[in-house]
Amino acid sequence: MTQHVPQHVNHRFRSLDINRLGLWLFLVSDASFFIALLSSRFFVVGTSTPEHVDQVLGLGLTILLLLSSLTAYKAEAAFEHGDIPGAKKMLLATMGMGILFVFGVGYEWHEAFKHFPPSTGFGTVLFTLTGVHVTHVVTGVLTLGFVFFRIRNTTEIGDNQFAVEGAVKWWHFVDVAWVFIYPTLYLLK
Amino acid sequence: MHKTLQETLKLGWVVIGVLAVMTIAEFIVAIAIDDTVVLFTLLLIIALAKAWLIVQYFMHFGQLWDHVSELWDGIISNSPEADTEED
Repeated sequence: MTQHVPQHVNHRFRSLDINRLGLWLFLVSDASFFIALLSSRFFVVGTSTPEHVDQVLGLGLTILLLLSSLTAYKAEAAFEHGDIPGAKKMLLATMGMGILFVFGVGYEWHEAFKHFPPSTGFGTVLFTLTGVHVTHVVTGVLTLGFVFFRIRNTTEIGDNQFAVEGAVKWWHFVDVAWVFIYPTLYLLK
Repeated sequence: MHKTLQETLKLGWVVIGVLAVMTIAEFIVAIAIDDTVVLFTLLLIIALAKAWLIVQYFMHFGQLWDHVSELWDGIISNSPEADTEED
């Protein structure tokens, strides 16, 4: 027996909505991973923070990541309004700040090895948290690069809407994670 | 109602301004307060507020419910009962 499938069914399940919902579910599951890692700080070393933690660097990294969230937001807004060149510029700026952030964390690690190596309690927490986070930053930069490559020759939105939206949401998620990592690692005492 | 590009960008600047002020506030709080419990509580409140600003305004969390309701409408109207009614 042939089952009757109405024509309108395919249009009802909009793939864009499914993609968006799927991305949010993924972000929630990834957030739970960060929550577990953040809580480990309190189990391993309590609330104490060594004196040698570089406060200026921590604040600088935070400001850098917040600014990159603004450029990512502007990239998405420009793309949605059809300003493709503007979106590409903002994507490049976001990627540039992401790369700077990675170098900043690299410098932090260089200093951390001297004062609290991974064999110490705080070193374990710092290298684990920043290591997992910077991995997210690197994948974010690569994703933004992929999106930039994909839209480099386009003049209209076409089927690239979710590519831009998804990559930018991922970047904002990385920023949200840092919003909690920063006070946990640098500001508590 | 859709915002113009200028309005959207203006909103972005306002949000980043508030985030910057809150970041400076948490830095000052960390220097000024010695009580661990008070400091932890204040830093947690500030971090939650900053995260909410990013999730709500930069990640458009509010729009998620529109997407879910669109999907839900699709599922409901795709049920056999709905098809029978439409046929």
